[in-house]
Amino acid sequence: MGVITDEARRWADRQYPSFDFEVTATDIAKFAHATGEANPIHFDKDAAVAAGFSDVVAPTLFTYVVRMHASALVPVDQLEPDGSPSADVPPLPTRRAMAGETSVVLGVPVLAGDTVTVSKRLAEMYEKEGRSGPLVFVEMEFTFTNQRGELVATESFTRIYR
Amino acid sequence: MSALPEVGAEAPVLVRNPTALDLFMFSASAWLLHRIHYDTPYTVEHEGHPGLLIHGPLQGVYLVQTAESWLGDRARLASISYRHLAPAYLGDELQCGGTVTASYVGGLELELWARKSDGTLTTTGKARLVSR
Repeated sequence: MGVITDEARRWADRQYPSFDFEVTATDIAKFAHATGEANPIHFDKDAAVAAGFSDVVAPTLFTYVVRMHASALVPVDQLEPDGSPSADVPPLPTRRAMAGETSVVLGVPVLAGDTVTVSKRLAEMYEKEGRSGPLVFVEMEFTFTNQRGELVATESFTRIYR
Repeated sequence: MSALPEVGAEAPVLVRNPTALDLFMFSASAWLLHRIHYDTPYTVEHEGHPGLLIHGPLQGVYLVQTAESWLGDRARLASISYRHLAPAYLGDELQCGGTVTASYVGGLELELWARKSDGTLTTTGKARLVSR
């Protein structure tokens, strides 16, 4: 007896439309300050140039910002009551989402002025019995490239619904 | 350029005490709209948590910062993976650390962790760094 219905199962292997994120120095500085980054190469162009970059450089996990915008930068009627983007939520009776495992392989850094394109796929869906009932694991795969076609990162991310 | 540390070497512990403002800034900068990180009544009444949750991805950033603030001048991160073992709530202090688990020509591997002041591990991870 599982909670993943056939309708939900059809979401597996779903490829989402790709999303382009035009990265500004402002976007980078916001994420840097939100995470308490001390290194000025993330918010001070002079410091970035002195470190050998042509412009401010994004913190290592800036790809998270890119993939969240790809999911959630939608009209509000495309969001669930908890704020999750509806397109990310398969039709499951388990609705409360938590972050599970994340795995990121890094390529070239992201600089202000880059356009980062993320392609996204719902790779897998499976369930386990948790202490408080069924848990459904939804594994997403992301590939990030820049405007020169260089690989910025690949990421797999598992969201857990309880 | 100094050499990379040996197996068993430990990163200086990074301490983070994210406030409601930090949680909001992280959500806003990433356009992460999930209410459990900024809407206390919703989080408590509808999701059954004692308070706002410290984002898993923010803890992932803390692990990266633990590695980079220690070794960033000598090596760059090639990969990182992490998973969340227990929730961390607004008001929890997170202590983040790491240990070198493998060291070879041109790089090393780290085990990373974030834990609350009562010792509960909230996030653990592994990272690979390559020499600059």
